[in-house]
Amino acid sequence: MICTFLRAIQYTEKLHRSPAKRLLLPHLVLNKACLKTEPSLRWGLQYQKKTVRPRCVLGVTQKALWTQGPSSRKAKEDSSKQVSVHRSQREGTAVSTAQKVKEAGRDFTYLIVVLFGITITGGLFYTIFKELFSSSSPSKIYGRALEKCRSHPEVIGVFGEPLKGYGEATRRGRRQHISFIEYVKDGLEHMRVKFYIEGSEPGKQGTVHAEVKENPKSGEYDFRYVFVEIESYPRRTIIVEDNRPQDD
Amino acid sequence: MEEYAREPCPWRIVDDCGGAFTMGVIGGGVFQAIKGFRNAPVGIRHRLRGSANAVRIRAPQIGGSFAVWGGLFSTIDCGLVRLRGKEDPWNSITSGALTGAVLAARSGPLAMMGSAMMGGILLALIEGVGILLTRYTAQQFRNAPPFLEDPSQLPPKDGTPPPGYPSYQQYH
Repeated sequence: MICTFLRAIQYTEKLHRSPAKRLLLPHLVLNKACLKTEPSLRWGLQYQKKTVRPRCVLGVTQKALWTQGPSSRKAKEDSSKQVSVHRSQREGTAVSTAQKVKEAGRDFTYLIVVLFGITITGGLFYTIFKELFSSSSPSKIYGRALEKCRSHPEVIGVFGEPLKGYGEATRRGRRQHISFIEYVKDGLEHMRVKFYIEGSEPGKQGTVHAEVKENPKSGEYDFRYVFVEIESYPRRTIIVEDNRPQDD
Repeated sequence: MEEYAREPCPWRIVDDCGGAFTMGVIGGGVFQAIKGFRNAPVGIRHRLRGSANAVRIRAPQIGGSFAVWGGLFSTIDCGLVRLRGKEDPWNSITSGALTGAVLAARSGPLAMMGSAMMGGILLALIEGVGILLTRYTAQQFRNAPPFLEDPSQLPPKDGTPPPGYPSYQQYH
């Protein structure tokens, strides 16, 4: 029973250390051939670097070997731990200062890299939030102007429902970029936006121009004008909204 | 604009799928070549053979998963464009989130939400980069904006009808 227990332990040890199947086969052969051979047991305990020469007789000797195994292992570990403690105590200060400087330098470089990455990511997030959520971004103004066009009966009459809007064609056909100009006049911010619309009527395309002005009291952007230019000959202009008389 | 007489949208899906596959194959090929090289036994012939083997086996798989991601993303994007009727950055972010969610569907709802958030955040970052690049490269070409008059398509404020020729303005 002890032999089978030993055999099982050796198998698992070998499995851990050498996953290749080829190594297991000679071991199995050896063990099956004769359990009491020295080489197999020595191979099993080889990592302790102890040349044990047992007379492998079932019973007492094997038990003694097995009990010796873990204790000798522990002794080896303790001795190695003691050696390392001694070593660190002796050369302690010199090694650790140099080590400390190196590690501090490495940590500092890592910190710089991390901060750089966070800054860039934060900048990107800020840009995209401003674009999507701030009411002064061209995308929002384009959205509002498109809604106004969609609810204007003349535009619907010319283009047909549903109306769809898009901006400038960027690489590979995506048309998300809305062209715009920002300028400051009389201390107030103005922005002009230009985009295209198309409806269900085939072949009819329109260009929408819109301008917003900053309202000094509320900080919101109000429309100054919105008009649609139809790409046909002669060019036709539909004025959706004109608030310029309210300028002065 | 006139060359693209047809809508970019349905054809964009094929375009994106193929582009993603190519990216996956090339990128995956490079990484697997290095990995196969390092994990092979010592000896240059073994290493080269290991590297070629790793590329042969893994690179098409990586390309395939990239293609699935790209194709699904583009399909959802085109679907959203058709649904909402306008093209803006929200479409990309939502598409990224939905793609992430769909591809993690086998692992249960919690994994789907995590994957959706990752996809959405990734695409928000990509959109942010795109927006920054477009704005700053366009600003390089822009001079100081001239004092802009009202466009001539509009009637002047006192109400006379507009003339026929549009004014040429500098948009970016």
